[in-house]
Amino acid sequence: MKTLHIVNKSPDQARFGRCLAALEASDQLLLTENAVIALADAGIVLPSENYALAADLEARGLAGRPTTTVIDYPGMVRLTADADRIICW
Amino acid sequence: MSVLVIIDQAPYGSWRGRESLDMALSLAAFDQPASLLFTGPGVNWLRAGQEPAGLSQKAVERNVSAAPIFGIEELLVDRQSLAKYQLEPSALIAGTSTVDYTPELLANYYHVVCL
Amino acid sequence: MHSQTAFTLVITGAPYSTQAPQTALAFAKAALAQGYSIDRVFLYGDGVHLSSALAAPPSDETNWPKAWAEFLQGNDIPAVACIASALRRGILNNEEQARYQRNASNIIEPFELLGLGEWVESIASTSKTLYFHGDH
Repeated sequence: MKTLHIVNKSPDQARFGRCLAALEASDQLLLTENAVIALADAGIVLPSENYALAADLEARGLAGRPTTTVIDYPGMVRLTADADRIICW
Repeated sequence: MSVLVIIDQAPYGSWRGRESLDMALSLAAFDQPASLLFTGPGVNWLRAGQEPAGLSQKAVERNVSAAPIFGIEELLVDRQSLAKYQLEPSALIAGTSTVDYTPELLANYYHVVCL
Repeated sequence: MHSQTAFTLVITGAPYSTQAPQTALAFAKAALAQGYSIDRVFLYGDGVHLSSALAAPPSDETNWPKAWAEFLQGNDIPAVACIASALRRGILNNEEQARYQRNASNIIEPFELLGLGEWVESIASTSKTLYFHGDH
């Protein structure tokens, strides 16, 4: 079962950690809203298959981060449509 | 396969746990299998001896105790969070099962809700 | 197109306290543009504030209840505010205004006040349910 985890919380929030602890190796992670600042957080290790919303990155001055796959809202729709299960943290 | 509703907020200081419990009870009322998982500060929902009269709120303890009667399948509690909040399984309200919070646990549910 | 996939969107974050209604609207517009359908939008918890017709933000800011209402009406999408969440937070329709003898009703069309059964129906259906929460 391929699970897409969508997290919108800042990385310092306990919920962010609960999301990471729920990830299986085959799962996907999508960072939205304040969660995108995790890409600038030196203390956070994200799974290699992670995505981040372009509008949220750009709004926070984080466009062009190399450690994520940047997607737009249509890309978010495709990810969710393809997932077997979606958990919104 | 059933729905898992996660409560990770302490009781009384926020309404989110109550509204999570309402979701689980609604599922059960419509014959949809539902379980509750208490983790993080949420394990404090299960501490015996709550007396919230001074807050003019109803005790959540009673709502949770009654949940199995209304059809909630499991009251799960995260072992690590119990240790963190110094809760012995014997100090919890009756009817809970202690589990480890892992991807394997969550894989048992086709839908996971975390308000 | 992808007529087989339908989404249910549950919004639990309030406008002007969280980004949830904005992310959800951007997602919803993108989903329709790609040929997916949206079975239902369900407001729960603080999310019910999105159904207030009385929001009066400054003119240079988006009126999120109005933007959502126009989107829902324009696309014939059923929209529900959870009645238990809404009544507690002062979101009323005419019927509830009369029942509770309040001096105004304030729900914006096309939102309806209905129970959690609407959400349960989505869970039990083949619809994919996404939640748009606040940041706390």
